[in-house]
Amino acid sequence: MLEIKNLHVKLEDEDRVILKGLSLTVPKGEVHAIMGPNGAGKSTLAYVLAGRDGYEVTEGDILWNGESILDMEADERAAKGVFLAFQYPMEIPGVAGLTFLRTALNALKKKRGEPELTTPAFMKLIKEKGDKLNIDIEMLKRPVNVGFSGGEKKRSEILQMALLEPTLCVLDETDSGLDIDALRIVSEGVNALRDKDRAFLVITHYQRLLNYIVPDKVHVLADGRIQKTGGKELALELEKSGYADYTGKAA
Amino acid sequence: MNVAVMKTKAEQALTEAFEAVAGKLPGSAAVKERRAEAIGAFGSLGLPHRRIEEWKYTDLRANLKEALPPAIHDETPLTIAELIVALGPLAHVDAYRVAFVNGRHRAELDDTSEAAGLDVATLGKTLASASANVADTLTKSDANGAIAALNAAFMTDGAIVRVADKAMLAKPLLVVFVRAGSGKRSVSVRNFVSIGEGATATIIEAHVVLPGAAVDAQSNALTEVTVGKAATLSHIKVAVDEGKCVHLADWDVSLDADATYRGFQFSSGLGLARNEINVLYTGQGGKLDLSGAYMARAHEHIDTTLVVDHAVPHCDSRELFKGVLDGHGRGVFQGKVIVRPDAQKTDGKQMSQALMLSQDAEFDSKPELEIFADDVVCGHGTTSAELDPDMLFYCRSRGIPESEARALMIESFIGEAIDKVEHTELHTALMTLAKNWLAGSARG
Repeated sequence: MLEIKNLHVKLEDEDRVILKGLSLTVPKGEVHAIMGPNGAGKSTLAYVLAGRDGYEVTEGDILWNGESILDMEADERAAKGVFLAFQYPMEIPGVAGLTFLRTALNALKKKRGEPELTTPAFMKLIKEKGDKLNIDIEMLKRPVNVGFSGGEKKRSEILQMALLEPTLCVLDETDSGLDIDALRIVSEGVNALRDKDRAFLVITHYQRLLNYIVPDKVHVLADGRIQKTGGKELALELEKSGYADYTGKAA
Repeated sequence: MNVAVMKTKAEQALTEAFEAVAGKLPGSAAVKERRAEAIGAFGSLGLPHRRIEEWKYTDLRANLKEALPPAIHDETPLTIAELIVALGPLAHVDAYRVAFVNGRHRAELDDTSEAAGLDVATLGKTLASASANVADTLTKSDANGAIAALNAAFMTDGAIVRVADKAMLAKPLLVVFVRAGSGKRSVSVRNFVSIGEGATATIIEAHVVLPGAAVDAQSNALTEVTVGKAATLSHIKVAVDEGKCVHLADWDVSLDADATYRGFQFSSGLGLARNEINVLYTGQGGKLDLSGAYMARAHEHIDTTLVVDHAVPHCDSRELFKGVLDGHGRGVFQGKVIVRPDAQKTDGKQMSQALMLSQDAEFDSKPELEIFADDVVCGHGTTSAELDPDMLFYCRSRGIPESEARALMIESFIGEAIDKVEHTELHTALMTLAKNWLAGSARG
């Protein structure tokens, strides 16, 4: 279970406070959506969960399976099962996708005390996971994300997720830059990972994604706080009425 | 301007050392004469210093504190097993081999059996019987500075390599220079490489150290290369040392019509290095692809200075040099591309990049294009950057620990240059050398 308790976050280098007492609980096996206007703090929440530098938690805590992860480095969090699918996945020139995936998978296995995969076993696994996402091995021989289209980058994020088998999946604006076909493939990839032992936090600006990844709960994030929580119908309401009610409140 | 400059301790010692050993250096009477002329030339030039434009960033006069005794007729024993240890990852490259220990040929370490189309002689023997004409050829070089003069004065041995017209060497030729033994020495060697018309060859020049050898060392290595019409040469220099040696190297390359030259240099652990490469096109249609990877830490200093002379039309040149600089490591890159008035349709591109791993590292980059023709495509670029924190975070968010993420990114940076080496085993060996350097970085 993910428990975010009264989280206050500011930027390290500026006085700007972004999250102002955010509380949220996502039990295992559930998919929760976070929706909100631009500037509400959605991406900050994603980055703070994954452990990116540059943010300062001034108050509150984040517990994953009852354990605070705030003092953990990003790679330690990954070892505990935290995964962030980036809104803008990084390009890494010179590192072949396969090398990257294998390094990541073996690093996690090592931290979890499991044996590393042999090359044939790894290749078999990649092929199996890649096929489902329409990702060819040839694409993975190229440097990570370099020259990939928006859709290819997002599919590659979901492939990483499928391969690393995290237990807390945070998806940051995974639908941005996707056409309908890519959106379907990505959503199917995510849905295939839905599991009783896995929690999802799906961050999105638009309701569209939630037609494909149907959430158990929808939270409205505005002005650094959860303003409202409801069922999946809340997303439809927002699509009609927009965020004006919440941004108005924020102002 | 005639200014009487005080000779430095090292300059004086070099001249004195020559006087002391001149009689013992290999060579016929004609050669001895040329050597005496060369030390005379050095005496008036002195060591190059920062007021000479080409040496602005590498002040040898200030940095060369002493002259180590020259190695002559060295007999330090070296077994094949030790040679393999000294070669490290390069030992895995299946190659013909010519070996030198402390600047002296060791036939018992060679392996040139069944090398069709390849002929290797040694400089030491050739010097001994050289007529006046031959002595001229062996001692004069296109590089006519103080370093080349010192080389002519002190050179003891080296490989004279000829690849026959139309020959295709089945394996690369490894010319290896090993430093061994506890004595501090300076070693001067000179190689001649001549690739016949339409021939294809890969030649590796390696400067390596047997663990336990004196760490303080000096080497001066000059290689003259002629690539014949429509011939292809891949020429790779690997210099890997233990952080203290002074390594002065020079390649003088001339490319005949339609010749292809792929030059690559890997340098790590060199205390103070100057790698000069001079390329002259003598026929149309020449193709040049020069690249290099260098890695420096502590107070190491690696200088790459290129002069590419497009003297004739319709020639291409590509240069890609990448350096990783840690600690107070310093990288210097000077890349001069000359396009002569007649050299129309020249196509030249140059890139020099440094990855700075420390606040104290320094990178000096000076691209120079001198273009006198009007129908040409020439460009250059230079960058210096630190590791991208966003990329590091991306790697770490996938569970890759910081040290491993850094290594992965440094390898990817330097790998782009090493990828220029097409020979698979050699490519693997070079990547291993880069990784070994990084592992040392982690320990330091």
